[in-house]
Amino acid sequence: MKKYKSLLLALLLFSGLSCKKYLDVVPDGTGTLDYAFRNRNEAENYLFTCYATLQQLYDPTTNAGFTGSAEIIYPNNLTQHPISEIGFDLVRGSQNSANPGLDYWDGINGGEDMWRSIRRCNTMLANINEPVDLTAAEKQRWIGETKFLKAYYHYYLLRLYGPIPIVDTNLDITASTAQVRVSRVPVDSVFNYISNLLDQAAADLPPTITNQAQELGRITSVIALSVKAEVLATQASPLFNGNPDYAGVKNKNGQLLFSSTYDPTKWQKAAAAAKAAIDACAAAGLKLYTFNAPGTIGTLPDSLVKVLTIQNAVTEKWDQNAELIWALNPVFPVQGYATPRLTQLSAVNIFSNPSTFAVPINTAELFYTDKGVPLNEDNTFDYANRYGLRVGDAASQFYVAKGYTTINEHFNREPRFYANIAFDGGIWFGNGKTTISDMYHVEARGNSALAGPHDLNTLNITGYWPKKLVNYLSVYDDGFVPIDFHLPVMRLAGLYLLYAEASNEANGPTADAISYIDMVRARAGLGGVISSWATYSNNPSKPSTKEGLRAIIHQERRIELCFEAQSGWDLRRWKEMQTVLSSPQQGWHIYETDPGNYYQPTNALIPVFGIKNYLWPIQDNNLIIDPNLVQNAYW
Amino acid sequence: MKITTFILFLAIMQASAAVFSQKITYKENDVSLKKVLIEINKQTGYNVFWPPKSIENTHKLNVDLENNSIEEALNICLKDFKLTYTIEGKSIIIKDASTTNTNIPLASIIADITVTGTVRDSKGATMQGVNIQVVGNPKVGTVTNNNGKFILDVKDGAVISVSFVGFITQTFTVNQDNKVFNIVLLDDVKQTQEVLITAYGRKQLKEAVVGSVTTINPAELKIPASNLTNALAGQLAGIISTQPSGQPGQDNAQFFIRGVTTFGYNNTPLILIDNVELSTDDLARLQVDDIASFSILKDASATALYGARGANGVILVTTKEGKIGKTTVNFRYENSISQSGQTLQLADPITYMKLYNEATTTRDPLAQLPFSQNKIDNTEATLANAPGSNPYVYPAVDWLNMLFKKSTLTQRVNLNVSGGNELAKYYVAGSYSLDNGLLKENIQNNVDNNVNFTNYQIRSNVNVNLTKTTELVVRMEGMFNEYNGPITSDGAFQTDLYNIAMHTSPVLFPAYFPADSANAHTQHILFGNYSGPGGSASNDIQDNNPYAALLRGHENYSESRISAQLELNQNLKFITEGLTFRTLFHINRYSYWQSSASYSPYYYSVGSYDKTSNQYTLDWLNPQTSGNNVAREYLLLSRDPSTDNLSSFYFLQSMLNYDRKFGNHTVSASLISTEQQTVYSQVYDIESSLPYRNLTVAGRATYSYKSRYFLEFNFGYNGTERFSPEHRFGFFPTIGGAWVLSNEKWWDNDLSNIFQRLKIRASYGLVGNDNIGSQRFYYTSNVNLDGGNPATFGTNNSYTRNGVTINNYANPNITWETSRQLNLALEFSVLKDLNVTAEVYRFYRYNILQTLNSIPVTMGLEAPISTNYGSAITKGIDIQMDYKHAFNKDFWLQARGSFTYAESVYASFEEPQYNEAYRSEIGQPIGRQYGYIAERLFVDDVEARNSPSQIFSAGGIAPMGGDIKYRDLNGDGKIDGADETFIGYPTVPEIVYGYGVSAGYKNFDLSAFFQGQAMVSFFIDPSRVSPFIQSPDPYVIGNTQLLQAFADNHWSEDNQNLYAEYPRLGVTGAQIENNRQQSTWWMRDGSFLRLKSLEIGYTLPKLISEKLAVKKCRLYFNGLNLYTWAPFKLWDPELGGNGFNYPIQKVFNIGINATL
Repeated sequence: MKKYKSLLLALLLFSGLSCKKYLDVVPDGTGTLDYAFRNRNEAENYLFTCYATLQQLYDPTTNAGFTGSAEIIYPNNLTQHPISEIGFDLVRGSQNSANPGLDYWDGINGGEDMWRSIRRCNTMLANINEPVDLTAAEKQRWIGETKFLKAYYHYYLLRLYGPIPIVDTNLDITASTAQVRVSRVPVDSVFNYISNLLDQAAADLPPTITNQAQELGRITSVIALSVKAEVLATQASPLFNGNPDYAGVKNKNGQLLFSSTYDPTKWQKAAAAAKAAIDACAAAGLKLYTFNAPGTIGTLPDSLVKVLTIQNAVTEKWDQNAELIWALNPVFPVQGYATPRLTQLSAVNIFSNPSTFAVPINTAELFYTDKGVPLNEDNTFDYANRYGLRVGDAASQFYVAKGYTTINEHFNREPRFYANIAFDGGIWFGNGKTTISDMYHVEARGNSALAGPHDLNTLNITGYWPKKLVNYLSVYDDGFVPIDFHLPVMRLAGLYLLYAEASNEANGPTADAISYIDMVRARAGLGGVISSWATYSNNPSKPSTKEGLRAIIHQERRIELCFEAQSGWDLRRWKEMQTVLSSPQQGWHIYETDPGNYYQPTNALIPVFGIKNYLWPIQDNNLIIDPNLVQNAYW
Repeated sequence: MKITTFILFLAIMQASAAVFSQKITYKENDVSLKKVLIEINKQTGYNVFWPPKSIENTHKLNVDLENNSIEEALNICLKDFKLTYTIEGKSIIIKDASTTNTNIPLASIIADITVTGTVRDSKGATMQGVNIQVVGNPKVGTVTNNNGKFILDVKDGAVISVSFVGFITQTFTVNQDNKVFNIVLLDDVKQTQEVLITAYGRKQLKEAVVGSVTTINPAELKIPASNLTNALAGQLAGIISTQPSGQPGQDNAQFFIRGVTTFGYNNTPLILIDNVELSTDDLARLQVDDIASFSILKDASATALYGARGANGVILVTTKEGKIGKTTVNFRYENSISQSGQTLQLADPITYMKLYNEATTTRDPLAQLPFSQNKIDNTEATLANAPGSNPYVYPAVDWLNMLFKKSTLTQRVNLNVSGGNELAKYYVAGSYSLDNGLLKENIQNNVDNNVNFTNYQIRSNVNVNLTKTTELVVRMEGMFNEYNGPITSDGAFQTDLYNIAMHTSPVLFPAYFPADSANAHTQHILFGNYSGPGGSASNDIQDNNPYAALLRGHENYSESRISAQLELNQNLKFITEGLTFRTLFHINRYSYWQSSASYSPYYYSVGSYDKTSNQYTLDWLNPQTSGNNVAREYLLLSRDPSTDNLSSFYFLQSMLNYDRKFGNHTVSASLISTEQQTVYSQVYDIESSLPYRNLTVAGRATYSYKSRYFLEFNFGYNGTERFSPEHRFGFFPTIGGAWVLSNEKWWDNDLSNIFQRLKIRASYGLVGNDNIGSQRFYYTSNVNLDGGNPATFGTNNSYTRNGVTINNYANPNITWETSRQLNLALEFSVLKDLNVTAEVYRFYRYNILQTLNSIPVTMGLEAPISTNYGSAITKGIDIQMDYKHAFNKDFWLQARGSFTYAESVYASFEEPQYNEAYRSEIGQPIGRQYGYIAERLFVDDVEARNSPSQIFSAGGIAPMGGDIKYRDLNGDGKIDGADETFIGYPTVPEIVYGYGVSAGYKNFDLSAFFQGQAMVSFFIDPSRVSPFIQSPDPYVIGNTQLLQAFADNHWSEDNQNLYAEYPRLGVTGAQIENNRQQSTWWMRDGSFLRLKSLEIGYTLPKLISEKLAVKKCRLYFNGLNLYTWAPFKLWDPELGGNGFNYPIQKVFNIGINATL
């Protein structure tokens, strides 16, 4: 055969063609991956490729921490679907293993492809020595950033799936079937791997960004250390620390994937890491934010300053926000969903703004009274009569519109309530009006009210809006003109509470732990934990026990970080999600005009959350393709 | 004799001009007689004439002449040959010795009777060059002229025979009463001389063909439509073809040779027109009148020479060339009326509203009814045209009627001129066709939005004989298409108006309003639309009114291909007898651009209505000044240069042929080399801009003995630029043989009385396919170094890099997809007039490129990895039959039929190891669909609750009574992906057949052709046909219309039919999600049989046509797609699941075909 072929080739040549050349059409210089690492300029582009997935995590609607806890609920009978509803649907019990929602394993149904992102990081690390003009210092920083990203992507999967395979180096594309069929690794090994990688990253990273104009958003050692604190706290939390529900979960070879016994030293490590992070933050000049009214606004009453302090701790420009540890560069994309209609023009032009993010009564009642204790513990508050009607008066004129009828529980609340929640009769400082003599308030009762339900696609189904997610300077009038902000991934108040939590778990209720809670409360205009409970709570000794203080810290954290895509993660690791989602999520009778009829709690959403929902199911197909993978418990 | 005299005269003239020796001296051994005679001429100056046949194959002789006289020399030389000579003046005339008397007495050829006549074929066309010969006297005879006429003087009582290759010879006895003949020659079905066109345009006697080739008389493909591909189904055994749309310019049929033989990237046949690879569109536009031959090559032996590109079969078309003779002009004109074959039956608006109400409450008893009784009553009044009714406030719109005409007109003209002489022949043709669509235009609106497809073609084929052995062929062709049609939302040209109309409520708003007093001076059309709670007024409002969608503008494209081809044929008999050489160069340039122009409609709804005065006011709905939806009265052009498409193509082919007969042995061999390149303008990266190239060396060797035994070897050795150097060339050999049993000596009369002809043949070999995937080059990676994964940093996000994306990984092991093909065939003629070719085959297609499904996502790959893993087996049967019989000179009958059965199954397929065997693709037919098995409808909500759970999406709603109950195949108590399996037949039919009869009586002819398909399934798309819900098509916002069939028979509380046509109604997609899954519930039998065409023709009698100064003139009336028998009734089953598409057209046509 070979002879014939050479004969044929000879013939071809004879016919005047150099066949080899004729068919060799690909010229030199056609881009391959090698070109991505030829010099610093190209390699920087690849570094950004590693960052690309991280920045895609900016969208809260696909963040299980944002949508998963029913802090905000979204209707599922709209005829238009401008945002992804998959995440919001999960609280209705729609999760399934055939086609999971927010599937970050496969990168489908709202999820990003984390394994692909990890592969990019590994490619970066494997080729980092290639660029000839990369300085040693810059190389070190890039290695640190890439290691952080690799750790964070693993962490993101870990929070969703628990034990996952670790991909420390890339498999070659020609790897055998046996090689590519990876197994899950025990959850503590994954935590340790991530924490170790974060340590390495922190060592290579600068503490702050010097060239903010061009580099703000790049990872610093402060971020790495703060994330490490959260990682270790997650490891120590009940979901992963000796969770009896997962006691029998094992790999096919019998290897147990969860530790079966509770290990208190994990909290020790978490507390130490949180402390280290707090120290690093302090060294980098971070501190809790307070609002200073710009000259254009003038002097504001203290009550409004408190509201704006809390609102702006989230919505302030990020280079002005000393509290911000880490945020992603893409801006918060759904302000329009959190804003009620306040003006005539906004009510006419219903197309420009959906205004559909609805806060259930449960979330609104989470916030303390102005005494700094829960509604149902406050011995000065008539809890049973909380839905009784009450007319706004001069004393609360910066919180509730004067003369407007609303209900008792909208009065005498802590400033964080007024900063977080927009309610019927609530004052909305801003939206183009920044003088105290002329302020908007929300009118939400019935479809003739400005903020009331006008049509199916632009209604709020509970009567509460997540006000904290709107910059007070954003204007919704004839069209929506938002002032952009970056939703924090981590801010100092959260880190303080994380430290308090870890410290309490590790050492019980110490003054040290309580001092960090009190710093956060003080900024919110509340008294200290001990004194507030002692004076106003019908359970005055609550802070004196570990369990009591734990409850206080958990509620404090849910209040402080409300709507910031944290509660979905916190409630999971605390194993409290099932309790929180065991009751119906209620709102008011939004179509009623009369306040007496309006203020009747009515079911807006019945959540479904089983024990299996604490972790995500791995898509069935993956288990068929990789027989070494085992499914999560109860799926 | 006269010519001889003339030549003699010339010779004398010539000889007188020079003086030569009268003596000859010549000495040579083993020399041909011809050479000796030439030498004599040289030395003596005497012209020597000889009958070529007599000396052509004579043996060699030894000559030794020394000053011999001419007479002596001739005597010596001719003594061993049966030749004699005479010398007349300065000429020597050599003659056969057997012709004893060269001077035929004048008396013997003086005729007693002058016979005249015309010879036609069974189609009524006159035949040129037919032999008329007196039996027993070969000297007396003639041939018919250009008009098929002959004149011959014969003796009384002589018998004349009329013969022509490929036709049955007829004999007549001449006498005084019988001397004018109108003869119809019938095709000789038994004739083994039928010529087939095989690879690289080789003409081969059917008898000698070893591979599987089906040739059709191009005239059979003449249907009254402007798309040749629509005529293929059922005509040629081996072609599986269906037509998915009837829209002019967008109605190409999809066709496969021997079925879908691969599940790889490319499954369509190679199309070669005059040896050059062209596209389906080029084939579709080809004029039947210009086609000289149409063949399909079906097995390895037939396609082997195309090696790399022949695995899916080859369609081979050649265009006509001029013939020697006077100029012939052929003219054809057709005018057709075209209408929808089948229109959708919709429920009336009242039923629509009542059932919409039912659909609302059946899912949610407390929900507000969408239509009040008041609205229903008033709409009824509108329909009844009652006094005080108002069709604008309470509209009842028949959208289909509003948008589409009942019928439309189409014209086609075709003119060709041919002729030639010994030096040159020409064939020049031009054609024009205009196809109109069924869309209505509006007089208020001079935007031409109807579909309007115009095709112009000019073709010129010229053959020039440069020398006696050298022929030059120049072929020039221009094909030009102009399309104009309605705006479509997806930028393709397949109109979506049917779809939009089917998804718009008939009662929500009228198509347009007459101007109210406030709009008395408005210049634009006041289109209707709506907004309101639950409504869909949004930025997409513009597509909501189908009438506005129709009228708002038009989009058009212009496309052309201009090609030039030069072919040189050189006879190399001076090297050795039987050797020829051909080289061919083809170049063409394709160009395409598109644009659209539209205004943006103004929409209105009724603002207030005073029932007593029957007056309404209008609200303007889209006053906004920004967004997509800004109303605009004037047209705006939209043109995207990136849709422009240019390509340039060249093809070079050289071929050396040897063909010679040695006694009983015939051998032939060919060696072919080709090279082709295509470059496209529509490119998006370096890789796609690089030329697409192919190289081929192919060869063929054949041997046959006594027309009984045939043996053939073929190979293709092909190169493609897409594979790595190790796999760049593929070698594809085949071998085949045939045995004509009826040519054996022992095939005696008894046998041949039954089987006039019997041949068996077999072939086995490999063919390849390099078009195996979308990736441009497999051996290099494709990386976008600047795009796809951006990240941005900085206070104001001022620093962005676009990131790197890997589109493909390098995979140097990718190689040819190969088909190993075995073909067995039996050809026979029986009952004298019936010819049958029956073939069975088995193809094994392997190395099908397949994406690896077994790589877990944990690998983190950015692009799928493919490998040559898959394989498929195709088995099938092709049967082609024809029957021709002339009962007498006035009455003939023809019948033909074809039957194609092809079944392809996955032989190996890279797939996960499913726990359920029924999910495996292996062993399943290619194209078979995957879905749930629907058992019936749930009896009630209780049963639905207690059955295995059926929730199909995150947040899905559980089924109720009257929803579809699926079978829990794996018994795990829930219905999910693991319960889906393969259902029904493939969506491409496994059987396609056709049969036709034609008959002629005197000047009339009649033919009918039936075509059908079987063993095919299709799926009604429930998300598009389900009433009241929104279609998933993003451009459709309204609520789906209600098909009458669903209105009549659906599950309801009152009619709890568990097998109703449609399950429980619902008003949102989420409510009926359970019923929207692909399942056997929506599976339908796609088989049908249709009367594809019927034709009546009349050829004008000679008397009349002579008066009109035409040689022949035929008038005909025909119809296309006249009647369909099918189990599925809602729409034409050939549309498949695509029922809301432009319907297949029924055409009535009148035509005239004249030859001048």
